[in-house]
Amino acid sequence: MNALRAEFRKVLTTKLALWLLAFSVAFTALNVLLMVYLVPTSARMVNSGQLLQIPAYVNSIVASCANASVFVLIIGIIGMTGEYRHMTITATFLASPRRAPVMVAKAVTYAVIGAIFGIINFAVSLGLATITLAGKEHAAIVPSESLQTLGGVILGFAIYAILGVAVGSLIRNQVAALIIALVFVFLIQPLLSAFVDWTTAWLPGGALDAVMNMTYRQGEATSGLLTAWAGGLLLIGYAVVLGVIASITTLKRDIT
Amino acid sequence: MTGNSVALEVRSLTKVFGRGEGVRAVSDLSFRVEPGRVTGFLGPNGSGKTTTLRCLLGLVSPTSGDTLVGGHPYRELHDPLHTVGAALEASGFHPGRTARGHLSVVAASAGIARARVTEVLELVGLAEAGNRKVGGYSLGMRQRLSLATALLGDPSVLILDEPANGLDPEGIAWLRNFLRSLAAEGRTVLVSSHVLSEVQLTVDDVVIIRKGELVSYGSLSSLSSGMNATVIVRSPDSIRLAESIGQQASVTVTTDTTGALLVTGMSAAEIGALAFAQNVMLHELHAQEHDLEAVFLELTSSEGGAA
Repeated sequence: MNALRAEFRKVLTTKLALWLLAFSVAFTALNVLLMVYLVPTSARMVNSGQLLQIPAYVNSIVASCANASVFVLIIGIIGMTGEYRHMTITATFLASPRRAPVMVAKAVTYAVIGAIFGIINFAVSLGLATITLAGKEHAAIVPSESLQTLGGVILGFAIYAILGVAVGSLIRNQVAALIIALVFVFLIQPLLSAFVDWTTAWLPGGALDAVMNMTYRQGEATSGLLTAWAGGLLLIGYAVVLGVIASITTLKRDIT
Repeated sequence: MTGNSVALEVRSLTKVFGRGEGVRAVSDLSFRVEPGRVTGFLGPNGSGKTTTLRCLLGLVSPTSGDTLVGGHPYRELHDPLHTVGAALEASGFHPGRTARGHLSVVAASAGIARARVTEVLELVGLAEAGNRKVGGYSLGMRQRLSLATALLGDPSVLILDEPANGLDPEGIAWLRNFLRSLAAEGRTVLVSSHVLSEVQLTVDDVVIIRKGELVSYGSLSSLSSGMNATVIVRSPDSIRLAESIGQQASVTVTTDTTGALLVTGMSAAEIGALAFAQNVMLHELHAQEHDLEAVFLELTSSEGGAA
């Protein structure tokens, strides 16, 4: 329990979490505005004008807070690599020389923070979608669908934060870890999805979309997504595999 | 402090970094650090001091050998921060955290009350600066914060890695008195340094290592007595005296530019007795004060040193 309290205090004694929360909320707002105002008026697609009449599209506007997951990944990476960057890992392991409970405490802490980020971003996307859609002709926001999105964002963001901690544990250099994670999220993942269709569903981003009910991207329905349950299980699988590898290396590592 | 005295023990410690041949940082090192005394852990930079301390603290796994704190490996201690307080050189602070924030994180991890944070801040003279971000701290202030972190659990053992770095003369004097008072309370104090003169006035015992191997271990006074002392002798009849001294086994006699004899291998008393027996008048007879720094340099230089 002490290790858990220490981990939360670490997060609360710097301003990083607040800044990242602010950025994530702004990013979610931007996503909602794009999907409400820009995509439906895009001349690129024939039927773009009808998008707001499609229930799945409207629900995806609410679920567009999924894109803020990258900030949760970042907070996990910085939280872990920061320990090595500032050498606070020494103090951490001096206080808790049994390392396994420390890693568990860190995972739990960041999972909770991820979930909180998720709930706040969901509230922003739901609220902003409701306000901006008012007065427009649109399909209804279905409460049960939004509820699934809420459940999905809590699970998905918690997992993404744990993935961040695991990545940071494996790649201790903060800059390298951040670059690799961002390149994966914004470059490798979209390219794989675009050129090798079946990978979409199995990548972390696809699993997150599935669990969050985010079925429309760039004004088109994503094909072949897993069911929400399968997506959730896949995400948990990613976290377990990466987390175990990261824990094993961290438990044995010399802290010099 | 819990009241019980806790000794530190390093037994046949060897640490090789990397695979295969690797880098041998510490080699078959053994020593004990006793409670109630200040022990200096000395050696040039890169001699393996920090690696040894990190092994003692469970941060680095030994290739072979054991390190024990009160008879137990650090990783098996029930309440590590109440047993050992450590301030290591490469231990850091998040620049965006205040000193108080940093200490409260460490306090939380050991179940220490927040009131103790204020106490240790006052103890090391950081009460005023405690609410400022560590990013703006000077090296000396960081050293004080390291010390405050080590003291947080009121530990029986204090391990400080190069604690005088960055302290001004006033700070060094303060640290000296502080460490002496901690040892007087029965605590075990281990202080590493690469300069003997820095800790000469503070320590009771010394452990000196070079290239990861032990070269000297014992009380500070035994360090000097173990060396061949030079005795300076002046006599109007120095030639005859030099001859009779030269006949003794394992004694060397040289003459300096002023005509004084420099004798090693005999004590001043033995030379005096010899001169008395030979009826040689003496004008001066005294053992040269030991320059501990010179002894230390000789012990730790790459060629020299005792076996």
